[in-house]
Amino acid sequence: MERKTRVLLFKPGIDGHWRGILTVSSALSEAGMEVIFEGFKSVDTVVEAALQEDVDVIGYSVHSGAHHEWTIKLNEALEKKGVRDRFLVILGGAIPHADHEDLKKEGADAVFSPGTDTRDIVRFIQENVPRSR
Amino acid sequence: MSEEMKRIAEEQEKWLLMTEGLRERKEKFTTDSGIPLKSLYTPLDTEKIDYVRDIGFPGLPPYTRGVYPNMYRGRLWTIRMFSGFGTPEETNQRWKLLYEAGETGFSAAVDSLTFAGVDPDDPIDWVKAEVGKEGVPIYSIKGMEVMVEGLPIDEVSVALVVEPETSAAITSMYFNVAKKRGIPVESLRGTTQNDILTMTIGYVPWRPLKPEDLLKLACDLIEYCTAMGNAPKWNPINFTTYNYREGGIDAVQEIALGLANAVAHIEELLSRGWGIDDFAFRLAFHLSAHKDFFEEIAKYRAARKLWYRLMTERYGAKEEISKQFRFHVQTAGSSLCAQQPMVNIIRTAYQALEAVLGGCQSLHTNSYDEAVCLPSEEAVLLAVRTQQVLREEAGVGNVIDPLGGSYLIEALTEELEHRIWEYFEKIEDAGGIVEALKSGWLYRMMNKAFEKRRKAIESGEEKVIGVNCYVMEEEPHPPFKTNPRAAEIEIERLNKLRAERDNLKIKSLLDELRRVCEKKENVLPVVMELTREGATVGEITNTFREMWGLWDVPMMG
Repeated sequence: MERKTRVLLFKPGIDGHWRGILTVSSALSEAGMEVIFEGFKSVDTVVEAALQEDVDVIGYSVHSGAHHEWTIKLNEALEKKGVRDRFLVILGGAIPHADHEDLKKEGADAVFSPGTDTRDIVRFIQENVPRSR
Repeated sequence: MSEEMKRIAEEQEKWLLMTEGLRERKEKFTTDSGIPLKSLYTPLDTEKIDYVRDIGFPGLPPYTRGVYPNMYRGRLWTIRMFSGFGTPEETNQRWKLLYEAGETGFSAAVDSLTFAGVDPDDPIDWVKAEVGKEGVPIYSIKGMEVMVEGLPIDEVSVALVVEPETSAAITSMYFNVAKKRGIPVESLRGTTQNDILTMTIGYVPWRPLKPEDLLKLACDLIEYCTAMGNAPKWNPINFTTYNYREGGIDAVQEIALGLANAVAHIEELLSRGWGIDDFAFRLAFHLSAHKDFFEEIAKYRAARKLWYRLMTERYGAKEEISKQFRFHVQTAGSSLCAQQPMVNIIRTAYQALEAVLGGCQSLHTNSYDEAVCLPSEEAVLLAVRTQQVLREEAGVGNVIDPLGGSYLIEALTEELEHRIWEYFEKIEDAGGIVEALKSGWLYRMMNKAFEKRRKAIESGEEKVIGVNCYVMEEEPHPPFKTNPRAAEIEIERLNKLRAERDNLKIKSLLDELRRVCEKKENVLPVVMELTREGATVGEITNTFREMWGLWDVPMMG
């Protein structure tokens, strides 16, 4: 049987705007992916969880305006463990389009701003997983 | 049927014959909440409405046409812009700018730390990243003092948008600042949002408290300010149906949740031995102005009727003021788009008009850039001007409830009243608000509603300009950025405070707070002392967490 794509979703920081990531969670499940919903997590513990759960994708949601900070921190945590290339890293939330390019340099493989059709997120994952398996 | 109605029915028959076979744009027309819409409304649709009983006069039961006898003829609604970012100093500057631009009430948007009750020097180091990002950091009386410095808070009302986790801490900081400035707390006008559903279904904070503890804290503030008379002009709660609506539910669910939430608080306060008229006159609401123009206007009218009904039929309130549904409105943030952001100005203007035609007491208009960032100066000024066009140029405040008597509006008001009450009873059947939170019922309901909306937008059934129709390529809009040094500045402010204050006194007051928490007494008296002495929002909220424990939120339903 073909292995299902496994996606870990979490919120870094303490901002409690959950609607976006809950929606993405159900859209990805509907598309046949295995979603591991971690809730609030620090970027360090999330790397551990991603390795343990053997996921293909790490997705995080930021609505606080701290999207640069969290992207940089997550990338550092992944690099520190030497596992950055094992995961597709995707970011969603209230993120200005003008920030997309910088966020990609800082470590996000894709950025999804408000108004994204969840099918575009599904398509992006399908086209880019597996990364280096 | 009267003679006149018979004549109308006969004429209607003729008209119906003419429309037979004419094609319509859609198979079915409904309001956003799903109420079927006819193509035309006539006196036949309002035939069963008894004018005096169901509509009446403004300032008189059942308050359908407004809670005040002269409404905007006397005083226009308050322009109250929800605002805050970076540091208290920067927020103070923005508030001054808004005041000079004609704002008539203030409203504080706090950052995620203040909202949750977390200090920036929390042992969990990474909370720092969010200091001042989505609102103003108010961690102690020092920040509060700076935020309102030089502003006429003795005359202008202030809304503190904080929830039960921190409503006692932040409100008491504000009261203490006023006292220091020589303004008696009894004379202060303003509002604390203090809404348990905002902190559970609208937003789930880090280290959340349990619903029953949130309810206790919310009622403590109502009791302290209103029932005990410490701040009689202060609205100690604002049932913020706006925040629930933003999660994807419809107008019917929005108001039903608001009523059910109010009932939970009323029952708690009655069980503490207060009478309904001791506090109901200060229960206020904060509603959404969403996309469906006529339905929203009818919603405000129906809400007033329903509150009157609840207060008289169920609670036997005697004072008229207890039966008057007063509300602030915010235009719908969830209707705004990151794509073609200037279109948001138009969306907001129509929604503001809904609120005014619906008789709101105060209004926040969103800025066009709010789908992706905090408002820039230019955007927020335009949002203020949007209200001023309505006030000064359009003349919409010159006649009370100008759409009253419209066959459509009256028929919709009746239908909404009926549907809202039905949904309200459904929530009661689920055990009321606290039980519906704990069992996950409310989360399931919210998730279902949002999924339905997502699918409607993705299938193109619900049109969103710039997202699923009239899409075009565009240059990204430069976002407003907050102060990157905010965390440093705030930690410095806290370090200084911790060095200056009487730490022994704080320690003994925190012990007293533990005792109060254990005995489930009202937390306000000791929190008033704590914040006066320089205790922080994190110290106070962590005491609640320590004493009552955290909640495992059934977010997935």
